[in-house]
Amino acid sequence: MTSYIVRRLFAVVPVMVVVALFVFFLLRFAPGDPAAIIAGDDATSEAIAAVRAKLGLDRPVVEQFAVWVWGLAHGDLGVSIFSNLAVTRLIAQRLEPTLALTLSTLIVTIALAIPIGVVAAWKARKLVDRLAMGFAVLGFAMPVFVLAYVLIYFFAVRWQLLPVQGYSPVAEGLWPFAQSLILPSVALGVTYMALIARITRASMLEVLQQDYIRTANAKGLATDRVLLLHALKNAAVPIVTVIGIGIALLISGVVITETVFNIPGLGRLTVDAVLKRDYPIVQGLILVFAAVKVVINLLIDISYAFLDPRIRY
Amino acid sequence: MVAITDDLPTRRFSLATAIRRNPTITFGAVLLILLIAIAIVGPSFVGDPLKIAPVYRLRPPSERWWFGTDQFGRDLFTRTIYGSRVSLIVGLSVAVTASVLGLAMGLLCGYFRALDAIVMRVMDGVMAIPSILLAIALITLTRPGLGIVIVAIVIPEVPRIVRVVRSVVLAIRAQPYIESAIAGGTRHVKLLWRHVLPNTLAPLIVQATYVCASAMLIEASLGFLGAGVPPEVPSWGNIIAQGRTFFQIAPWSILIPGGFLALTVLAVNLLGDGLRDRLDPRLARRL
Amino acid sequence: MSGILEVRDLHTQFDTLDGVVRAVDGLSFDLDRGETLGIVGESGCGKSVTALSILRLIPPETGRIASGSIRFEGEELTRLSEEAMKRLRGHRISMIFQEPMTSLNPVLTVGTQIAENVTRHLGVSKRAARERAHEMLDLVRIADARRRLDEYPHQLSGGMRQRVMIAMALSCDPQVLIADEPTTALDVTIQAQILDLMLDLKEKTGTAIVLITHDLGVVAETAQRVVVMYAGRRVEEAPVEALFDNPLHPYTRGLMAAIPRLDTDATRLQEIPGMVPLLTRPIVGCAFAARCPLATDRCRAEAPPVVDAGGGHTVACWEVTP
Repeated sequence: MTSYIVRRLFAVVPVMVVVALFVFFLLRFAPGDPAAIIAGDDATSEAIAAVRAKLGLDRPVVEQFAVWVWGLAHGDLGVSIFSNLAVTRLIAQRLEPTLALTLSTLIVTIALAIPIGVVAAWKARKLVDRLAMGFAVLGFAMPVFVLAYVLIYFFAVRWQLLPVQGYSPVAEGLWPFAQSLILPSVALGVTYMALIARITRASMLEVLQQDYIRTANAKGLATDRVLLLHALKNAAVPIVTVIGIGIALLISGVVITETVFNIPGLGRLTVDAVLKRDYPIVQGLILVFAAVKVVINLLIDISYAFLDPRIRY
Repeated sequence: MVAITDDLPTRRFSLATAIRRNPTITFGAVLLILLIAIAIVGPSFVGDPLKIAPVYRLRPPSERWWFGTDQFGRDLFTRTIYGSRVSLIVGLSVAVTASVLGLAMGLLCGYFRALDAIVMRVMDGVMAIPSILLAIALITLTRPGLGIVIVAIVIPEVPRIVRVVRSVVLAIRAQPYIESAIAGGTRHVKLLWRHVLPNTLAPLIVQATYVCASAMLIEASLGFLGAGVPPEVPSWGNIIAQGRTFFQIAPWSILIPGGFLALTVLAVNLLGDGLRDRLDPRLARRL
Repeated sequence: MSGILEVRDLHTQFDTLDGVVRAVDGLSFDLDRGETLGIVGESGCGKSVTALSILRLIPPETGRIASGSIRFEGEELTRLSEEAMKRLRGHRISMIFQEPMTSLNPVLTVGTQIAENVTRHLGVSKRAARERAHEMLDLVRIADARRRLDEYPHQLSGGMRQRVMIAMALSCDPQVLIADEPTTALDVTIQAQILDLMLDLKEKTGTAIVLITHDLGVVAETAQRVVVMYAGRRVEEAPVEALFDNPLHPYTRGLMAAIPRLDTDATRLQEIPGMVPLLTRPIVGCAFAARCPLATDRCRAEAPPVVDAGGGHTVACWEVTP
């Protein structure tokens, strides 16, 4: 078991190295002169030179790389071109809203999607199943920002039940905090929910065909025990895998959702940095988001060992 | 995850049966053909998507302006019709480019094991970066344009194709008839062309369809974030981005192009689901 | 004679793309207390469907018990509520399946799978159920039972898994055990051990057994009485000695000729020519007529009645009927 976890941990290293190399060389090998593009269209040649110096692009690539890796190893993601603040500090400032949004979405989505998938598989080809899967197909095609505006239009503008946009920190009261998260979470979660519900149904349908489910039924076990223990535990590996794959959807979705709802989180920070072409921030955020994704997938890989005793460590 | 085995080499691709047996394909395809037709001939029937008429700003949908007007008085019907071009061009070019690149890399990886280790590590790394972020990063460093948007979307999508193609190649390589062909001295090129390539087609088509849908979503998202094609190009993402400020008084400027985007993605996804169920039953079970 | 299980004129049907399949087509038989009844026939003759019908485990999306009666201790099972059926399954009527490799849940421990049956039906504490599971593993002669309780099915051999299935099936002292090809998937040496075990346990517990098999050899060693099935119907029924001494139905004789024997010098096994008839169309006349070497026009036109050949030996064949 320990050796399995250790091996998985080591498998993370090359992935993160590739990510780091990728963002590093993207800046260096981009077509044209990135410094000129970052500095803007009407920048003077001094301004361009200043940007180049700030990014370290005027030094040899090997030296740039060494400096950059040295910084990374010390948790230094560089400095913003415009505000001169450390990227790590900017990220820390914006962490709370994004964590609140993604965690609430993650929990609510999984808590709804898996039961929907289980019921759909149990009542396969019946009305409940068709409704659930129709919803899933629609949900999967719905762009996050379109759904977000549809929700705002009805719940905030027409019926005025919830705030149009903005974020209220936990420190300022639980109810406003929760209220400010409802619409963003739904907008962010629907695609993810559709994905998980579909894989849950597909995986459960396959498991329900198995001989051991017939055995469980021949023992006269209650339906909920057959579905939730005998079937769902066997169906879990593909479901958990897709939960991991969907983290990418969630991260991309956060960037958009925070923009629509004007939530001052990491997504908003990304978009602002892109619009200002503040590459060090973009680069730092990519590393952080990729690391989150890789770590979650690592946890998921490890969870396989608990879900399926046949997986050898 | 699941090893691909047995019945692969015998499966044949037959479009006619595929359509007859699968209503999802037909529905998705008809919807898509309709949208493509609108994108091709539509613009010759409508006016200038860039024509500004401040007098008629923010008019709701009516007989004169079917989809209303935006804050510059531009006709949203015209702009939406033009916008379908950008979506479809991006979707199709990304699907084709990513398929060609992914197919080549997948075939080579599946076939030459030494290459495989390196390329797959790189693919894992690229896949670790959420696609929108990767595209954004590329765009930050270049001047906006349709070409760079396509490139920026192709890069994160290629690994998805490579993975599918590679797994099929690996499965086929393990087939006894391929082993005997190698033992019998068949040349590698011929083997790839005659036996391996045809078998990768079905899963490749299915995957390319999903890539197409995903590319259209990413393109619109980039436009929405202000990092897509230049703002003067009427793409659905740009129209929606420009409608944000006045959303509360002119919701149609977002909801209508948004509806078109959702419908197009839905059509392509349905086509993909149908093709998958028909052509690749094992993949269907996996997702 | 006190029958514990009485099956009368059972019809079980499935919907397929080719039409309605009459998998069981008017089957009747009795099972007495403590007896072992063999049900024999080729694959596709409706043996397994009969077993699933008794426990009402026919998947409702595709199949149903169309008519007939199944009485267990005088209670009509076909009219019982689903809840009442669930209380009966695994408790008073248990079942063992053909594939020990796939019939146990791969992600639950052996102990859990046995104990859950006990807690479900006997309402005892988890600890008591685990004790019972331990006791059952000892009973089916699994060495080191305490340790095996916490193992998963993939850690056990095929024979051991079938022992676990038996332990599970007998954990609530059922009156009837239905064993559907319990040894088919096992090695020959293991087959004998499992059959011995079942007979031994039957002696200890008094459970009546319905043993479903395609193997007349298995029946010869274990059963007291045999029902021979063909195309969803009973063609012959007899005490086991009577059947082997004097098989009356041409199909039974065909099956016997297909058993490998050591005491004759025949160089090859005889097989029954032809195929089991399509069950999508109602069969006119005798179901076996198409493959029967003795078939006459009458056989093809009219179904033979069941006649008593004496000593509990009945058969449905015009050849035998006077």
